[in-house]
Amino acid sequence: MSSKPKSRWANTAEDAEFEARLKKEKEEKRRKKAQKLQEEEQKKQALLAASSATPRTAEANDDDGDDNNQDASAPSNTNDTITPSSSSSSALLRFDVGTWKPCRSVDHYDKLNDIEEGTYGFVARATEIASGRVVALKRLKLEPGDPNGLPVTGLREIQILKKCRHRNVVAMEEVVVGNDLSKPDNSIFLVLEFVEHDLKSILQDMPEPFLSSEVKRLLLQLTAGVSYLHQHYILHRDLKTSNLLLSNRGLLKIADFGMARLVGDPRPKLTQLVVTLWYRAPELLLGARDYGAAVDMWSVGCIMGELITREPLLQGSNEVDQISKVFELCGVPTDDSWPSFRRLPNARSLRLPKHTPPQASGSVIRARFPNLTAAGASLLNSLLSLDPDRRPSAAQMLDHEYFRQDPKPKPESLFPTFPSKAGQERRRRHEPDAPVRGQAVALGDVDFSGIFQGRDKEERGAGFSLRMV
Amino acid sequence: MSLLANPLATPSQLYHRASSSSLPRELDEAVFVATQCLTQAAGRLLQLPQSVTAQANVLLARFWLTESPMAHEFSDASAAAIYLVAKLGPLPRSPRDVSNVYAYLSSANSALFPTDELLKDDPRSYYQTEADYYAFQQRMLGLEARILHSIGFETHVSLPHSLAITYLQTLDFLLQPRTTVSLRTIQYLNTALLSPQMLYITHQPNALATAAIYNAARDLGAKMPEHEWWEIFDVDREELGFLVVAMRSLDGWMQKLKDEFPSFGSKVLTRSMVEEELAKRGLHVGNGDQAPVDAEDEVMRMMDNR
Repeated sequence: MSSKPKSRWANTAEDAEFEARLKKEKEEKRRKKAQKLQEEEQKKQALLAASSATPRTAEANDDDGDDNNQDASAPSNTNDTITPSSSSSSALLRFDVGTWKPCRSVDHYDKLNDIEEGTYGFVARATEIASGRVVALKRLKLEPGDPNGLPVTGLREIQILKKCRHRNVVAMEEVVVGNDLSKPDNSIFLVLEFVEHDLKSILQDMPEPFLSSEVKRLLLQLTAGVSYLHQHYILHRDLKTSNLLLSNRGLLKIADFGMARLVGDPRPKLTQLVVTLWYRAPELLLGARDYGAAVDMWSVGCIMGELITREPLLQGSNEVDQISKVFELCGVPTDDSWPSFRRLPNARSLRLPKHTPPQASGSVIRARFPNLTAAGASLLNSLLSLDPDRRPSAAQMLDHEYFRQDPKPKPESLFPTFPSKAGQERRRRHEPDAPVRGQAVALGDVDFSGIFQGRDKEERGAGFSLRMV
Repeated sequence: MSLLANPLATPSQLYHRASSSSLPRELDEAVFVATQCLTQAAGRLLQLPQSVTAQANVLLARFWLTESPMAHEFSDASAAAIYLVAKLGPLPRSPRDVSNVYAYLSSANSALFPTDELLKDDPRSYYQTEADYYAFQQRMLGLEARILHSIGFETHVSLPHSLAITYLQTLDFLLQPRTTVSLRTIQYLNTALLSPQMLYITHQPNALATAAIYNAARDLGAKMPEHEWWEIFDVDREELGFLVVAMRSLDGWMQKLKDEFPSFGSKVLTRSMVEEELAKRGLHVGNGDQAPVDAEDEVMRMMDNR
């Protein structure tokens, strides 16, 4: 404390009060200590103790007249008074934190054109008037008469996006509001960075599928983003190609956190009404409420299949159809492949084919993707494991052999560019929406015993094709 | 954004608030403490864990840093804060529950303010008609949006409680059972939520936790390490000293407040009580403050008419 910094709090009344009290206390302590030391001195005649006691008493006397609060503003807790030797300043960890200020008005932005309407809001392209920057404005859907006030999904989305800083997660710059401040249904806009494309419309419009080097780069970016989210206790719960954005520089960003939520450890009970049907993991379809990061990994598996074929992998028309499509592709669950599935709420009503030979009821992923290398197929297979515990985590997936094999992931800068869809007429094919809050459908009695009929007549095994790099 | 840190008030915000407040300082502080106590009581009655209620305290403090407390009824702001925090967390509460709890706490039957006579439970005193409920709900939801706008949707709150427990586990307090020390520490942390110095929005959780441990150890006469152990927890001497005094001074400060402001602590503090007190002191709420109050009333009327 030799540098004597001026206290930030030097002028408050409490400080003065405390200073006075502390001084008294300290003085008393020192006196006691000196006394004790003197006694010791008398007893033991320890020269060292005597020599250290004398300067200290002198120092205490000095302090009385001293106006400086460098000592007084800090507690004197130990018997050890402040000596120059103990003042070596150490590096303390300081977080770089912001503060808060009222939301700005949406008038700071100029709307250019609508982009799309999602389940939880409208998105428009806009420019910030002051800077001319182009951003995406997402308006939260508010129900004017909602007895519960602002929708919790929208608030969660804001809360989560505020926490996220990753190059593969869409960045939120701020939240702006409409001008009816005192109304409960005043509009709320999220200012997001503008990204030119979403992966779904690219897939629909491209004449040739992505090269496998491009698929790898896209998957790597997706997985890096998902890994970041999971590390921060965030489940996205609605990963699908229309929620993945791609910039003109080949940078992929995860968007739309309307379904996302923070989960602690232990996990809270969650609703199974999440994830758009085609990307929904089997444990969710079977009604699990205690699920985790593996539901996102299932969606990543579905997206991987879609990137390769340009078609959504599992297009069920309803929950029952969806789960039968899942079983057709991945095989029926057995006690071996998914030990705990019988305990899930909807599993009781399933009638599964009995005594089918394992080769006829197993996964046909390898056959569906004949062009995939063995490593690629094993990755897809593990992502689409029925048992959530057997799916790799995002971090594990990043280390997968598939990404190290030739062809290597293509650098982002070499990605082809596409004409931006934003503002043009939408040519969207139908896709189910993300589920809305409400009653979950029970599957009812479903008979799956016939789904594998005639499968052994199908052609099996991989053909050959030219490798495209 | 770190899960261990909070956004903090800037010095200019604090200065601005202190200089532009329409209330004398001690009244302003009285409003703050009384409302934070009310929030705590409501949290108990709503059966919310302290981790949720404490966040509501912090949100309310953030809100009042940017907006004058006199702009809205204090209990409404408190209700909106607790409703909002509960909604975002794992234990949402319905507006109806919140409404009932606040009606009870404001009633003559409220157990929050001990009176000499024995409390007769009289449900009529806190019965709410449908119209009362509807009006309350509209005010609360309006304020919910208002709070979010004012704090820029900065709803993330890291509390120091769990940090304090972690810190305690690294320390060895001789002669003191751990439960005593940790109980005392948590008590200091919870009391600090009420402090009109708004400690939770001016200091990081690690500093609050360290100061509470320091105070607890001193209260119990526990022997502490003999070097600058607080630096292990990234707190410097000056900050620790300030927090230690701030936490210890709260008790005496409350006493003083009760002496100076007799109606404080006898029932839920309302805006009209504060205005009366101002009138008694020969002050009145000036022009600058009159307008927002009127606008607010007008909005209420509009909502009622809808």
